[in-house]
Amino acid sequence: MEYKVLKATITKEFQVRLRAYPISFMVGCILTSFYTTFGAWLMYHYFFRGQLSDSFTGLTGTSDYMSYAIVGSLMYLFVVRTCLNVSRTLMTELWEGTLESLMLAPFRRVAYFLGNMLLQTITTFGETAIAAIIGVVFGLRIHEFNLIEFVVAVLISLYCFFGVSLILGCVMLYTRNTYITQNTLFTAMFLVCGITFPKEYLPFGLKVLGSIIPVTDCVSIMRASLLGGMPQAQVVKLAIKALAVGTVYIAMGMPLMKHAERIALEKMEG
Amino acid sequence: MIEVRNLKKTYDVKRRDGLFKSHREKVEAVKDISMRIEAGQIVGLLGINGAGKTTTIKMLTTLIEPTAGSYSFDGLDAIAHPTEVKKQINMIAGGERMIYWRLTAYENLWYYGQLYGIENVILKQRIEKLLKLVGLEDKANIPVETFSKGMKQRLQIARGMINDPKYIFLDEPTIGLDAVVTQELHEEIMNLAKKQEKGILLTSHYLSEVEQLCDYIYLVNNGELIVEGTKRKLTDFVFLRNQYAFSTKGMDEGIYLKLKNHIGFVDKDADVSFEGGKTLITSKVELSSKLAEFALDEKLTINELHKMEPSLEQAVIKLSKEMQKEKMA
Repeated sequence: MEYKVLKATITKEFQVRLRAYPISFMVGCILTSFYTTFGAWLMYHYFFRGQLSDSFTGLTGTSDYMSYAIVGSLMYLFVVRTCLNVSRTLMTELWEGTLESLMLAPFRRVAYFLGNMLLQTITTFGETAIAAIIGVVFGLRIHEFNLIEFVVAVLISLYCFFGVSLILGCVMLYTRNTYITQNTLFTAMFLVCGITFPKEYLPFGLKVLGSIIPVTDCVSIMRASLLGGMPQAQVVKLAIKALAVGTVYIAMGMPLMKHAERIALEKMEG
Repeated sequence: MIEVRNLKKTYDVKRRDGLFKSHREKVEAVKDISMRIEAGQIVGLLGINGAGKTTTIKMLTTLIEPTAGSYSFDGLDAIAHPTEVKKQINMIAGGERMIYWRLTAYENLWYYGQLYGIENVILKQRIEKLLKLVGLEDKANIPVETFSKGMKQRLQIARGMINDPKYIFLDEPTIGLDAVVTQELHEEIMNLAKKQEKGILLTSHYLSEVEQLCDYIYLVNNGELIVEGTKRKLTDFVFLRNQYAFSTKGMDEGIYLKLKNHIGFVDKDADVSFEGGKTLITSKVELSSKLAEFALDEKLTINELHKMEPSLEQAVIKLSKEMQKEKMA
């Protein structure tokens, strides 16, 4: 039955998008990636005048700042798009008036969320590919492509982003707010998850915050698979840590989501 | 059989006291409701807005958990086993909710069918049958957003039957529908109960709808049952209370008191009041001729004399007062 729900959710979402895909939304997301890359490019060339400290090379294992920042911004685009879609699914159902009819059906939620996640992943791959082409113009260079590490990075990222989406979705459903919640989380992620600079430059508190959001490790593993500069043992260590943190998010997210659903249905009344 | 006893639902509601201040308070949406629904029976849950009908239906459909009380579903503890209950029930609400507007009618039913884990071969046959039943077989592949209100409501009925439920909960299903569609829907509800043996709970604030369809009726107000019984039993209480508006030229307090006295001889339980220059009367007795007689005897020219459909609000207020009197006694 779970497979039926998963397949049906992918099909339904695909049909809905086929009829009403917000192209402007996709353009907006690619533009966000473009602005991030462009901002990093401006800062690097006109503010830092192409100068990088030794500490940056020491911490990141690369002296190619633009590739570092562009891979970061592509991963940021990826996490924003997948998290945004999955976490907002139940809010969308609430807005469209289908939350009650959905909750009336006796199915397991995990298949429903995974269906949404998988379809969004396909769409996001396309968007990220377009953003990557723009990135090449700004200086993205793939130095050491490691296919196995890349596949592992993608899979672990999806697993972790799914967990982050569930937690974000719970907060959205509980507060019945999407904009403040999502923008706060995404801004925090941009600052503390090592998107355009290593998190080691941050104050202690923010560094800790960065290390408990699995996006940070996912970005690092993805960079390692494309740009190299990280020993394999370190990649494995980060992958295990990301998996563990992601599991905590999912383990917390599923029961919390049930609780948030119940509150959302009660709030429709009270 | 569905049986609930002393069902109660209290919400913890946040109330704003200003821009930055707020406080929490308990709101009792349902205070004490006990009821039964049997297979093949149409049970009415009647009450004005805010009476607790929708909260009750949401507890019965396991969408929300009761704060207190018991709920037995064919002998099963429904509060402890909501998933088992969900397999055998469905709900149809009034309005245009509960269906995906961007999907076609067929896609909607297919998606919901998948959520219920129905085998594809059976689902295909059921969708075709249901679309035919609600008269949408020609519109099966058209996106719902282009449908009229009535068509959307008919699709909702098909959705509500996609899992072939044993019990169906209808929450004000005819709200906003025109007379023709309402009549079609009434026929369909009768068919579901009487031919297909489905147990149906219908909430409504239309007296006539409940009177026409329901075998057994529960009347609720402020989250409590005011009265329950068969249609025949409740007819005396609710449906056969005629309402009259009566006024004559130069009608004043004096004439009103005389009239009140006159009506008192015919029906001592009649409810008579004087508002805005006219007399309003609620009575179980047919009074039209008596009122005309009164005008003739008193040589008064009648300005207005008409009989109105009893309104639910008035019936509920009247019954609440009567129940309170009974309790006091």
